[in-house]
Amino acid sequence: MIKKQWIQDLKAIPFLLPFFVAYMIFTIFPIFKGLEMSLYDWTLVRKLEFVGLENYIKMFTDRHFWRTLWNTTFFVILTTPTMVLLALGLALLSNLNTKLKTFFRGSFFIPSILSVSVISFLMIFMLQPYNGLVNNVIQMLGIDAEPKWMADQGLAWVTIVVVTLWWTVGFNMILFLAALQDIPESLYEASEIDGASRWDMFKYITLPQLIPIGRVVLLLQILASYKVFAQILLITGGGPGGATRPLIQYIYEVGFNQNNLGYAATMSYALFFILLILSIIQLKSQRSGEN
Amino acid sequence: MKKGFSGLIGLLFVALILAACSDDSGSAGNDVEIPEGATEVVMWNLFGGGDAEYMEDIVTEFNDSQEEYFVNNVQQEYDEYYTKLLTSVGSGKGPDLGIAHSHVLPELVSQGLVTNIDDYAADVGLNWDEFNQNVLDVTIYDGNNYAVPIDTHPEIMFINNDLVEEAGLLNDDGTPKFEETPEGFIDFLTSLKETLPEDKMAFAFPSTGEDPYRIWWALYNQMGGENLVSGDLENPTYALDHEKAIEAAKYIYDLYHTHEVTPLDLADFYSDFQSGNAAVMSTGVWATGIWETTDDLNFTPMPFPNMFGQEAAWASSHTFVLPYYDDADEDSQKGAVEFMKFATDNGADWARAGHIPAKDTVLESEEFKDMPYRSEYAEVADYVKYVDRTVHARGIQDIVVRNLDTYWAGNATAEEVFSMIEQEVTDLIAE
Repeated sequence: MIKKQWIQDLKAIPFLLPFFVAYMIFTIFPIFKGLEMSLYDWTLVRKLEFVGLENYIKMFTDRHFWRTLWNTTFFVILTTPTMVLLALGLALLSNLNTKLKTFFRGSFFIPSILSVSVISFLMIFMLQPYNGLVNNVIQMLGIDAEPKWMADQGLAWVTIVVVTLWWTVGFNMILFLAALQDIPESLYEASEIDGASRWDMFKYITLPQLIPIGRVVLLLQILASYKVFAQILLITGGGPGGATRPLIQYIYEVGFNQNNLGYAATMSYALFFILLILSIIQLKSQRSGEN
Repeated sequence: MKKGFSGLIGLLFVALILAACSDDSGSAGNDVEIPEGATEVVMWNLFGGGDAEYMEDIVTEFNDSQEEYFVNNVQQEYDEYYTKLLTSVGSGKGPDLGIAHSHVLPELVSQGLVTNIDDYAADVGLNWDEFNQNVLDVTIYDGNNYAVPIDTHPEIMFINNDLVEEAGLLNDDGTPKFEETPEGFIDFLTSLKETLPEDKMAFAFPSTGEDPYRIWWALYNQMGGENLVSGDLENPTYALDHEKAIEAAKYIYDLYHTHEVTPLDLADFYSDFQSGNAAVMSTGVWATGIWETTDDLNFTPMPFPNMFGQEAAWASSHTFVLPYYDDADEDSQKGAVEFMKFATDNGADWARAGHIPAKDTVLESEEFKDMPYRSEYAEVADYVKYVDRTVHARGIQDIVVRNLDTYWAGNATAEEVFSMIEQEVTDLIAE
């Protein structure tokens, strides 16, 4: 019997091997290569010399590193709570037993399937001053204003946050929706017999049941928001004047425009480290919550 | 049987992955049929839009003109072009012939990625004397030619004849009525703004990115400012004249904020001009090729006004380079240089895009002179001011553009942004 199990396991190897090979080549190997790069003076073309921790020391005194890290963190602070609440709200709406259920689910999810270049182009098209849709609507409403959605520091942030929410909320909504549908109907029936109001049901049944998935959404959202890059690059280019430039854009510029891959790898490691710490905290708190 | 099957599937997957990783074609070129007996020359180019078509035409003409070489023209995405070129040439897998902007040449030369062309040039009869000296200078390092310039493409100005005439500001000879002084140009734009209907704009110009930076560079040089950094290719020193730099930047700032002749944050100033909604616009000469194929657009190109005394304009130059390999195939390299000669001899074809051909002999040819518009600005090639020759050129440009954007947006004073520029550029070149 034991031997049979062993043969059974062996049979899985050919199926696992391709992914394993790809995973090693494209994920594990670059992780270690990146660590090596961060210890060298390394250009796009060749490895130059071993500099030890010099790149790491430089990072701590680099204003741009701190500025772009703060920009990224600011983005995380802006998007994470709103994203979780919005996704929850939309999931509740999509879960209502109305005729519009399918319409809601579809329309909230559709933006998620578009590529970043498409959503960025759409937004620039709609938000451009003078002849963009949004400003025209504002003026039609009788408000005499020409907001510079992409050129004003504050508005640029609003733009990026709104675009990101609109674009990615669908995926989180689906996670909440799946969890909502997993809540046993019997709980609601029992509470109804006990005379609970709808608000009570939401507060004492729905919300607690959603906490595990809420944690997952929160973690995924924080990780995704820290990696923000493409939509900012395409919509504001990190501007005006670097006001919305995220860390990844800075890493990209240092690596590819300034030809300094060693330092770019160092900052990538810093980001990796931050995400690792956040994930550990999150997982720990989850475990203590479960206990 | 079953075990054999799963094993087979597994092997197949592994084989597929390995096949995807390997480059068994051994060539950086497109999969095209090379005529028998011809030596393949793989060329990578970074062009898009009309430029790409005109270059493709030149390649086809070259391939048809002889049987010894065949240029395999590979279109690359511009945004990734230099990353790809640097890494692939560095690892010995790049093209036989590449294209580079003049401001990237210092990086390529200092990293030993391109070959000195002099020997091959003598072989194929490429005559350096035929080139515009100002354009040729940016390709010479330590007395050797490391690239063959194709063109120079300065930032110039375009006017919409109909709108300028409607405002009563067009001379009989078709030139706009304004004095070439700082005040004269502003008077011109202000009059346009006051006279034209409200839905037309005086000056379509972006308030972010490279275009305002290029005009700033032109004005700075017109004032006699010369460098941003100077000295050694790899270890230069900061040399920006802040007084002139600030004055030039303030002039542009005033166009946006004080005189309000150009609206802030235009999303697409090309389309504003193309649709006939703007009287004046400024961008690179390449727009000429676009405007002349636009129906009902009655325009005139002209050099950006010389307002501060010295003739100067921002420009870059497309050049052909010969990537360096330890085991380079001499036949392909010679073919590459043959093509460089052919393409620059046929610079008039390239001028269709709007660029100014690098060879004086082409500029003097009837074929070029017969082309409309080009002669209006061809002289700019003689006084263009290229950005400084340094391996940090791309990094410096990022810094200056970003900080100038902050200024145009009104988020900092000129003094503040230039002190930021000084700090950032000094940090960058100290590495």
